[in-house]
Amino acid sequence: MAVFLQSLISGILIGGVYALIGIGLTLIFGVMRVINFAHGDILMVGMYLTYILFTFAGIDPFVSVLISFPLMFIFGGFLQKVFINRVLNAVAQNQILLTIGLGLIMSNTVMLIFTSDYKIITTSYSSSTFQLGGGVSVSWPLLISFLITSAITAVLYWFLLKTDTGQAIRATAQDREAAQLMGINVKRMSIIAFGLGSALAGTAGALISPTYYIFPQVGSTFTLKAFVITVLGGMGSVVGATLGGVLIGITESMSAAYISSGWKDVVVFSLFLLVLLLKPSGLMGKSRT
Amino acid sequence: MRKHLLALGATLAMSPLMAQKIGVINSMSGPEAPIGESITNGIKLAEEDLAKKGIRVQLVWEDDTGKPQISMSAMEKLATRDNVVGVVGPYTSACSNAVSKLAQKYRVPLLIPAAAKEEITRQGFKYVFRMNAPADRYASSLIDASLTLGKPKTIAFIYENTDFGTSTSKTAKDYVATKGIQVVADEPYPKGSADYRSTLAKIKSKNPDLVFMVSYVADAILLMRQSREVGLQPQAFLGGGAGFTTAEFAREHAISENVISCTQWTDDVNWPGARDFGKRYKAKFGKDATYHAACAYESMMIMAESAAKSGSDRDKTQALLKAGKWNGIMGPVQFADYDGFTNQNNHPMLVQQIQAGGYETIFPKEFATKKAVYPFPRWK
Repeated sequence: MAVFLQSLISGILIGGVYALIGIGLTLIFGVMRVINFAHGDILMVGMYLTYILFTFAGIDPFVSVLISFPLMFIFGGFLQKVFINRVLNAVAQNQILLTIGLGLIMSNTVMLIFTSDYKIITTSYSSSTFQLGGGVSVSWPLLISFLITSAITAVLYWFLLKTDTGQAIRATAQDREAAQLMGINVKRMSIIAFGLGSALAGTAGALISPTYYIFPQVGSTFTLKAFVITVLGGMGSVVGATLGGVLIGITESMSAAYISSGWKDVVVFSLFLLVLLLKPSGLMGKSRT
Repeated sequence: MRKHLLALGATLAMSPLMAQKIGVINSMSGPEAPIGESITNGIKLAEEDLAKKGIRVQLVWEDDTGKPQISMSAMEKLATRDNVVGVVGPYTSACSNAVSKLAQKYRVPLLIPAAAKEEITRQGFKYVFRMNAPADRYASSLIDASLTLGKPKTIAFIYENTDFGTSTSKTAKDYVATKGIQVVADEPYPKGSADYRSTLAKIKSKNPDLVFMVSYVADAILLMRQSREVGLQPQAFLGGGAGFTTAEFAREHAISENVISCTQWTDDVNWPGARDFGKRYKAKFGKDATYHAACAYESMMIMAESAAKSGSDRDKTQALLKAGKWNGIMGPVQFADYDGFTNQNNHPMLVQQIQAGGYETIFPKEFATKKAVYPFPRWK
């Protein structure tokens, strides 16, 4: 029982961070129909930002979210304005090539600056826990990052549902031309969406930093994960990405506990295929015509 | 004209005044870079000492970034284009295993300083030599130490599913079987997983007396952090070399204290020059010398001396390495054929424990500097 609870809890907590990564990707796809293959690399940039702030300015990784979120937003907005906007009407292959290229530039630039050595952030609470009883323990840094994730997701829902800009973003996602006819500045919405997506990925990077290690190629693992989460939840669905993230987190954790950690990816991808077979548009996705 | 130049080159190469051209393949960047740095530093000290002995070496450095395919192209280049007499390196087991075949093919003496996989010197390759003790020794020395310290009955394994991790744990499993210790968990993991908590919780539920881990630096820290998180509490944590014997790991006081690991070398053993090497290393590089540094130093010394004696001839160097006997900072060195190994130095392993942030030798008794802390104290 302890193993089950332990795996469930760490699965949910890790899943929360996965969800954040997935939401960023799905937001970008929803608004622009561009699949951002640089998503993991943007997350990696967020990790290095956290690392720099922590080592050189002594700013705690969780506090640094306050700095990295706006910085990553600007970074994302810049990428959108300068690069992505130009290919919005191009064929999908060109968009994919562009984002892959951007990702490569990011990871190699970081490699030139920091070398490909693994960096590890050690905070006073890196391995601190509290006991839930019954031999189940919860990692503080994971719990804090889960809480921050939940808060950000809640604010994001509110933003998308209640504010004018949020509604404009959703309108753009629903029908770009119609939104434009209604007087919505879709180019600006695209910039905001990409900025938000990048900020979320960067924040996820910051939140993982205290419990993981940092290296320039770390992005590819997370691009793949974000992809699975987004498709599983339904491309473009924020709720779906949240659900998909937590689901993947739990699946990984459970399969590592009950099968073997070497097999957890097999289980995750089998589940992924199964969902696609039964519900091709993803858990929360609406089929497009 | 070209022929003359070649002839001139050949005569120059024969003269002892000519610098010995020796290749070094090492993981200078990439995930294994922290250990690669120790190897580089060890070789630099060897270069100084060789100069004092009047042996001039010209080193050709190749960075394999820890990847076998890059290691192999480095070896091709050293063997065919740079025409080195011999090669010292590479670091990881996967790279060494790949490169060993090329060394044999091109008949270039290869002296591997610190790669653990047993098969490397079990292929009957005459041109492949190894300084360090192979993986089976890692396991047997750690288990022997635990058996003299307590009465462990069960053991759990968690290791990365690479050449190094799998081969070290496989020999460990074979060895514990002969000692009547029961394996209660056997968990390979893919390198770079963010979350080992569920695997560790599963191990915890089996309540093993010993936990045996094989990982490089980053995962070693992560695994111990998360062991503390889930409250895994065995009689001893045994770290199979690599990540568990680095200064980076020892610096993480909260989680590394009292972890037992094994090593090829420490600066407090009574092998000639070991203490002095430790001091000089610390003075020059500002860090404690690791076994990788000592292995690399001694490998370079032996390779360069043999190369100089042979007059830069690959075949003669091979013969000299095979026939020679040395006694330096790594203790007695001889490349012997035994137990299916070829050109393998039968090196004794030392078992150490992190106490007060430093590595202390606790086993075998004749080299011990501190009494072991056993069983592992409760996590705070």
